[in-house]
Amino acid sequence: MDALIPLASAIGQIATPVSLFNVAWATLLGMCVGMMPGLTATLGIALLTTLTFRMGAGDAILILICMYVGAIYGGSRTAILLNIPGTPANAASALDGFPLARAGRAGEAMGLATVGSFFGSIIGLILLALIAPQLAEFGLKFQSYEFFWLAVFGVVISGRLTAMDDPLKGWIAGFLGLLLAQVGQEGIHAYQRFSYGSVDLAGGFGLLPALVGAFGFAEILCVMKQPAYRTVRDMGDRVLPRLRDVTTRWWTILRSGVLGTVMGIVPGVGEDMGAWVSYAAARRASREPESFGKGDTEGLIAAEAGNNAAVPGAIIPVLTLAVPGSAPAAVLLAAMFIHGVRPGPLIMIENPDFIMQVAAMLFWASVAILAFGLALTRPMLLVLRVRREHLMPIVFVLCVVGAFAIASRVFDVWVMLGFGVLGFALRQMNYPMAPLVLGIVLGDILDKNFRRGMVLSDGSFEPFVTRPISAVLAALTVMTILLGLGPVRRAISDVRRRRT
Amino acid sequence: MTRTPRADFWFSILLTAFGAVVTFESWRMPRLENLGIDPMSAPGLTPGLLGMVLTGLGLALFARGVRAEPNAEPAATEAGWERFAVTLALCLGYALILLGRVPFWMATAVFVAAFILAFTWREPPAWRTGLIGLVLALVVAVAVTLLFERVFLVRLP
Repeated sequence: MDALIPLASAIGQIATPVSLFNVAWATLLGMCVGMMPGLTATLGIALLTTLTFRMGAGDAILILICMYVGAIYGGSRTAILLNIPGTPANAASALDGFPLARAGRAGEAMGLATVGSFFGSIIGLILLALIAPQLAEFGLKFQSYEFFWLAVFGVVISGRLTAMDDPLKGWIAGFLGLLLAQVGQEGIHAYQRFSYGSVDLAGGFGLLPALVGAFGFAEILCVMKQPAYRTVRDMGDRVLPRLRDVTTRWWTILRSGVLGTVMGIVPGVGEDMGAWVSYAAARRASREPESFGKGDTEGLIAAEAGNNAAVPGAIIPVLTLAVPGSAPAAVLLAAMFIHGVRPGPLIMIENPDFIMQVAAMLFWASVAILAFGLALTRPMLLVLRVRREHLMPIVFVLCVVGAFAIASRVFDVWVMLGFGVLGFALRQMNYPMAPLVLGIVLGDILDKNFRRGMVLSDGSFEPFVTRPISAVLAALTVMTILLGLGPVRRAISDVRRRRT
Repeated sequence: MTRTPRADFWFSILLTAFGAVVTFESWRMPRLENLGIDPMSAPGLTPGLLGMVLTGLGLALFARGVRAEPNAEPAATEAGWERFAVTLALCLGYALILLGRVPFWMATAVFVAAFILAFTWREPPAWRTGLIGLVLALVVAVAVTLLFERVFLVRLP
């Protein structure tokens, strides 16, 4: 608990007028981004990264974190009012949020979602302050063998958990991402792979243009292909939750906060799984599980606390292992590198205050969602009245500028377009995007550490499976694959059925 | 298990072929032995392995696609694909043809106006729909240009 004293100190240090101003506008913008179907937290952070890359590292990362927290929270509005999750993380919130809105309790639902998100985020950031320094210290034990398995395990677990009913597609997306990251100059001998004489390809695919394409352009194509969504209904009930509504659900909030954070830590899984796992746990623990999906406030609180707790959770591996816990966290990781911050196991040696600074940034972003969420409920409904035919061309212009801005390369615009079309095609075939993104981020880690490990071991694979941490990661990878295979899953469900 | 069996079948063939090509191309990469470099750090090692993994995953998808029942795929609406095609054409036209040939603000204004009008021109009254499209296009073009160039000091394409 001693870690909470530096956290309190960091919270005080950040509270300058300029920083609080940045917190206010970036969180509000994030909420608007989250509310609009078709705009995700990943896209919001990617676009803001291109806008803020000339700012100082502290201000830029604060703004990006506020956008992240705001967008994940903002998506709950659309889920409650339109039954369309504003971001994928809010899908579980729609299950009970929308029935509440239909019953004329939209204001109450939004108030409870706000409080759930706030407390989920606070629990997550406290866990970040407690866990991240320990995990960074543990990460110092990692060598090439362990980093190789971390990359493989990340892609395998992400593929498994983001495509629960069809893990094969999750793994294809993940390994495709790993392969796409191999294009361009490699990091050991500077050989240009798959470039075929092209100077642009020799530079590889930039992460930000790829993400802007996969989450921006692909989303525009998906949104425009769908039938138009209905305009927002109005709400006349109270927004401010009663104290009793919160205190009677403290256990649900605490459990969802912890579960959401844990799901956030798992590489490439992120906020949507944080929400689903918390929701499922709340349903199992409920005395009236049959009311879930019919407007149960506990389900809504659990989902929202879970997805917002996953935000600090997803940042924990970013800071300590340079491995993102979710797609938006992958962009945040890229932004940190752009701003000269080097996340990874050495962070506690090179930049020991940074973890607490990030936790403090999360705290102010959480305060902002609580304040804006409760105070600006009705004005923010105007955001939902924006028509997609008016919004999407503007988003595409921002995608083009965002892809071009970092390196001023026209090639990056082509990369954005290419990944957009690829992302659209993969989505149409039900391939998840998170493993693809994680694969692109982890491709370099996998390549360098695999080859380094093989050189160190004189071509033997033995240390990859005999060193203790490597062995655990290898076993987890194999177990995840086995449990994802159709025949194994069927056999397990057969055994369960026989027992019952 | 899968809701898109036909697409999966064709994608599996594409993926298997892609994985095989990647493996072959990785095999062709120099081992750099003449520079005294350990063959275990050859540039083609990791992409070659990934190519093999993707070939294996493609074959697994193929095997599943062969066994899957046909006609399980939900039919997409024609109007949806029409909207998709118009969106794709407009976006590609803006990014690949207009940008770089005309000033950024002008290209943006033309694109935004064309996009809005393409999807809303049937909505009465026509003059109002057209006016909204044109005004929004001009506002967006000028605002984005000024914001990025003057405030964020970002170069525009």
